[in-house]
Amino acid sequence: MLDNTLTTREEIRDLGLRTEEMVLNMGPQHPSTHGVLRLELVLEGEIIRKVIPHIGYLHRCFEKHAENESYTQVIPYTDRLDYLASINNNHGYALGIERLMGIEVPERVEFIRVIMAELQRIASHLVAIGTYGMDIGAFTPFLYCFRDREHILDVFEKTCGARLLYNYIWIGGVSHDVYPDFVKDVADIVKILRPTIKELNDLLNYNKIFIDRTANIGILPADVAINFGCTGPMLRGSGVDFDLRRDDPYSIYDRFEWEVQVGKGEMGTVGDCWDRHMVRVWEMEESCKIIEQALESFPEGDVQSAIPRRVRPPKGEIYVRVENPRGELGYYIISDGTGTPFRVKGRAPGFSNLSVINEISKGYMVADVVAILGSIDIVLGEIDR
Amino acid sequence: MSIPPENKKYELTFWEKIYIPELVKGLKLTLEQLLEKKFTRQYPEERWVPPPSFRGRPVLALEENGVERCVACGLCSRVCPALAIEVQAAETELEKERYPDLFEINMLRCIFCGFCEEVCPEEAIIMSDEYELAFSSREEAIFGKDKLLMPVDKLRPRLNYLHSQY
Ligand code: SF4
Ligand code: SF4
Repeated sequence: MLDNTLTTREEIRDLGLRTEEMVLNMGPQHPSTHGVLRLELVLEGEIIRKVIPHIGYLHRCFEKHAENESYTQVIPYTDRLDYLASINNNHGYALGIERLMGIEVPERVEFIRVIMAELQRIASHLVAIGTYGMDIGAFTPFLYCFRDREHILDVFEKTCGARLLYNYIWIGGVSHDVYPDFVKDVADIVKILRPTIKELNDLLNYNKIFIDRTANIGILPADVAINFGCTGPMLRGSGVDFDLRRDDPYSIYDRFEWEVQVGKGEMGTVGDCWDRHMVRVWEMEESCKIIEQALESFPEGDVQSAIPRRVRPPKGEIYVRVENPRGELGYYIISDGTGTPFRVKGRAPGFSNLSVINEISKGYMVADVVAILGSIDIVLGEIDR
Repeated sequence: MSIPPENKKYELTFWEKIYIPELVKGLKLTLEQLLEKKFTRQYPEERWVPPPSFRGRPVLALEENGVERCVACGLCSRVCPALAIEVQAAETELEKERYPDLFEINMLRCIFCGFCEEVCPEEAIIMSDEYELAFSSREEAIFGKDKLLMPVDKLRPRLNYLHSQY
């Protein structure tokens, strides 16, 4: 259908009529920009010629703050990067400092961290899937997703006392040990989640209207994805089989059996919005598998024994990367041997993922921008930092 | 410019073309939900009681004899990542020798991290279970001792929880 519009444009020119490009601002207060993001759309009629994202509305100087706080005090700030995946952010930062200082973390801590990180991944994907449905016009799945996310947040709350910004994973350990019923509660969550995934498939993912809006839209070829540094479901949606949990294993991810899910172009072309969306749905199932295996061999022990009394890493620098629900979250930490970091640089997956939007939106309709942006699943907190 | 290919792999069946079965599928789920247990809470009427692990607004513990536990060591204000706490010490006749003459927490800055509670040697600053924080001006959001002091009895569940942890 888009081919027709192109010829129409030529026809209009032939008729001697004047055509003009128009600039349309979408955001910063637009409900489907998922936060405060402004997209400058250059349009020709309804066809998109260019998308220029303008970021920075949520800038809170994370990196500068980190230079003025002690190593432990930075942890609550890492929570606020990607506020839908706080645990994963904590995890990456703590791993970095632990590697700098050469701390061995107890077995139980590793298990708790992995379980929490995977629960967080599911919670984050549930938000991504729910809000994406809402962007496209399906309101109900959003409510179901939030209902089930609530169970996960309840577990977090009972464990560490917060529902969104946990400050849970500390350098060398975790802030609180899990409560007695933890294993049972988490096992229950997994049991609740499986039907939800099925429900989502029935209601949203294989719905004809949804497929029409997302399949063959915003196609991101694998080479473009790699060139732009896209990671996470964005990269895997394009069919690239890459996941840091498997390919650069950290913590104890190498002990579990699970699969990296990639987009296969089932409904359209590999790398379209539907693929990216479905990678998230499938990943929830994989996370469930990891959690189940971790629960089976959940060890006893002290969770705070390895927490150093004072955090003073030796001079040096390190780059750590972890698989955040949105992709590769990296921290580049330079220590000058004092109690405050010399530099903490965050590599936000959302930033690279968003940068490709111009490439993948050209030639589509205005309404498709919403579908494309939603499928990138950005969190402005980490993009603006 | 990329021109998207036609949607070739997914051919519509007759039933899908008329959209009605898809709508019915969705409606069926909605109707099923009607019979399920309610998940939501009627908030202002039905109040939520947080578990003892919950980190609400930080408060200062007030002993039964009307003396606050705090000895104005200033550790909490040093460790606070958001620089929300201000403590000014003064001398006292009591056994603890020092007490906070001024103790202010700026609730606009506090990020509920719980570091102050963690570091306090006297268990004097404690995360309470209060979560309703609304102010109409910035001045109102700076909580002085009048708003921060809370009888120890009310903080028992949290204290017990903390003792079970460490
Ligand atoms: S509340 Fe605790 S840490 Fe803070 S000044 Fe008082 S005694 Fe020290
Ligand atoms: S909870 Fe954290 S931010 Fe709030 S006063 Fe205590 S240390 Fe400061």
